[in-house]
Amino acid sequence: MKTMLSGLIIIAISLAGAEAKEIKLLNVSYDPTRELYQDFNTAFARYWEAKTGDKLTIQQSHGGSGKQARSVIDGLQGDVVTLALAYDIDAMAEKGNLLPRDWQKRLPNNSAPYTSTILFLVRQGNPKGIKDWDDLVRPGVSVITPNPKTSGGARWNYLAAWGYALKKHNGNEKKAREFVAALFKNVPVLDTGARGATTTFVQRDIGDALIGWENEAMLAMKELGQGRFELVVPSLSILAEPPVAVVDKVARRHGTEAVAKAYLEYLYKAEGQEIAAKHHYRPRLDAIAQKHAAEFPKLNLFTIDEIVGGWQKAQRTHFSDGGVFDQIQHTNR
Amino acid sequence: MKQQKGGDMKKNWLFGAVAMLSAQLAVSTARAQDTNTVEILKRLQKRIEELERKVKDLEGGKQVEAQGADAQAKQRIADLDQKLKILERNRELDVEAAEAKTKEAPQITVGRDGFSLASADRNYVLQLKGVLQVDSRTFFNDSGIAGNDSIPLILARPVLQGTISQDFNLLLLPDFRGTSGAQIFDAYLNYRYNSALQLQAGKSKSPIGLEALVMDVDTLFNERALPTALVPGRDLGIQLHGDIFGGAISYAAGVFNGVGDARNSSNFDFEDNKAFEGRVFFQPFKQTSIEALQGLGFGAAGNYEKMQGTNVSGLPATTGGTLAGFTTDGQQQFFAYNPASNAVVVANGEHWRVSPQGYYFYGPFGLLAEYVISDQRVRRTVTQPLASAWLDNRAWEITGSWILTGEDAAYRGGVVPRHPFNPRQGDWGALQLVGRYAKVDIDDAAFPLFSNPNTSAHSAESWSVGLNWYLNRNVLFKTSFSHTDFSGGGGTGSSAPAVVTRKDENVLFTRIQLAF
Repeated sequence: MKTMLSGLIIIAISLAGAEAKEIKLLNVSYDPTRELYQDFNTAFARYWEAKTGDKLTIQQSHGGSGKQARSVIDGLQGDVVTLALAYDIDAMAEKGNLLPRDWQKRLPNNSAPYTSTILFLVRQGNPKGIKDWDDLVRPGVSVITPNPKTSGGARWNYLAAWGYALKKHNGNEKKAREFVAALFKNVPVLDTGARGATTTFVQRDIGDALIGWENEAMLAMKELGQGRFELVVPSLSILAEPPVAVVDKVARRHGTEAVAKAYLEYLYKAEGQEIAAKHHYRPRLDAIAQKHAAEFPKLNLFTIDEIVGGWQKAQRTHFSDGGVFDQIQHTNR
Repeated sequence: MKQQKGGDMKKNWLFGAVAMLSAQLAVSTARAQDTNTVEILKRLQKRIEELERKVKDLEGGKQVEAQGADAQAKQRIADLDQKLKILERNRELDVEAAEAKTKEAPQITVGRDGFSLASADRNYVLQLKGVLQVDSRTFFNDSGIAGNDSIPLILARPVLQGTISQDFNLLLLPDFRGTSGAQIFDAYLNYRYNSALQLQAGKSKSPIGLEALVMDVDTLFNERALPTALVPGRDLGIQLHGDIFGGAISYAAGVFNGVGDARNSSNFDFEDNKAFEGRVFFQPFKQTSIEALQGLGFGAAGNYEKMQGTNVSGLPATTGGTLAGFTTDGQQQFFAYNPASNAVVVANGEHWRVSPQGYYFYGPFGLLAEYVISDQRVRRTVTQPLASAWLDNRAWEITGSWILTGEDAAYRGGVVPRHPFNPRQGDWGALQLVGRYAKVDIDDAAFPLFSNPNTSAHSAESWSVGLNWYLNRNVLFKTSFSHTDFSGGGGTGSSAPAVVTRKDENVLFTRIQLAF
């Protein structure tokens, strides 16, 4: 009788332990990743349920990268963040103490599971003959790019132009500054975000060229502008590395550390990389990258470290109040 | 309309040309009789062709001109269209920006953290908070000490803190408790260059005692343990402090007026020399992923001063008695600088303190330990023998806590209940068990020239247990029992310290605390 009772208790405990749980996860991301993570979340939830039996509901929150980081610092309960800039996650580590400062070392490739770059979108037939960065500073060419003070994507655009000019003029920062000043003189509208800039160019028919994320430009071509736009690949651009991280403090509070970690690791797996490629993000995994190589234009890319020495320095020099961008805008006025 | 006008002009030209030709033909016909008619016709034919050519040329020129004007007009329209679209889009963005700006207007917040007035970018913030602590102390089996069973008002403080121009913080902490009247406890300005480099000037807690640095609203027991009696309280001075490597190393180093053990500065120095104080604290695993060790911290603090005073301000506080001395958990004086023969003891000479300290927090568990040595030169004055001596007083404590309801324990920030008190929903807040052991040893050299061994104890040893009930982030109910036994003292006399040390101290504390 005693043995039977013990057996029943063990079975009951085992069953209780084995019972499927319902887990919720919030991914706080930036603007252009909506479609990517809709697909990815479905795939991961399926994978996680098959692996653990737990039913996973993944919620998404999108907005400007910096704004999203501030929201998490202010209490938005994101278990993971997938943002446009490492600087924004650094801010969460420094100001919010939500994750360790060495968060970027926790996942491969500086915690950036996919990459992108900055290209141009022009109107069908390329009426202004825009082929490279130099064409964007010609008088009479109207360029659309968002405001680097408010948009993560715009900072990549800005730094791509800066890097091009810097390399063209053998590291002469004065020339680079003149080039970027001339470029922004041709910008009639400064949207607050990358999606807004795409709307300005594609839907409002403003401007001769849009500078933007490669994935965003390809998406605009595919969904909004068949036969209306052309993609222009400049001779040189920047390697954009949108990073991802588990927000330790939130995940610990929610008891979602394991699933949050697995969620991000799945981005590096073949299925995650396939989904990234499908949404025009450049995969990191060699096999997937080779498979999709033809879909991505080939161009020379430089890194942010090469041209400004990392995000902290870029922010301090170019985008903080009174920085180079503010000075340029003041002169252009 | 333009085209029709062009067509009319062409017709007029042709009509004129034909009329001219007809007239010339008529004249020529008349002359044909005298000249070669064929020759004349040929010339006329040639002339017509010339005229036709001219008409065509004229017509062609007009067309080119019209086409050019057309293209220009189209370009102008396209330019205007772009300008209009740009204006419209910029207007849209202005509206969006205005809406966003409305959201960024100065914010007034009333909530669990008090009242706050902040600029949208939070570079300027003014916060009004408050603390109220009402205790009860019930002593068991004492020596009939009158008035020690009481319901004292421990704290009644408004807290005004703010941020100015992002990097400057201020704190103003007056206190209105008991018989002391209004006092300024904290009043300082802190400049934050970054988290690693900050400069603070004004009146604040000295950076020495580990438990002393815990905020009054976050202490685990009603009163701090015996080691806090050997460290300075609040003092005036300037200190450099900060957190390096994300808080893995914290430091503070400063110059202060200098005060006696457990004393608060009266806002003025009582002698010319200054005290040098410093603290370094390590949390090596704070930024690592080793969760079980993230809450481990250890360090050391200390100070040095050469006192030249001739009064008692350099000696311990007078709490619980009339002379400088040390108190029990129940705030009764068990040791006093009370030599016989009406002699007076003053601090005179070097005073140094050193305190190794540490804590460990993991999940609901917390442990804090510190050891303090307060080594001070004192002098006996007024009556013979006029003598001086080094007194080496020492104290230590170990305090443990366990949150029964599972919330995280921490050195700073108190306990935040997961389910704030709401009996209608079956939520009861958070419960925490606390326990502590502490001891203080007075240097034997203090007796009998500086303290009367018949009345003052040589040492006190105490243990305490308690239960803290955090109803929510603002309201706390505490109860604890503390037992202290003494060695020495206990002689005749009806005042402290004799009456206090005559028997062990057994005291039951309760506290109701409101903090917002």
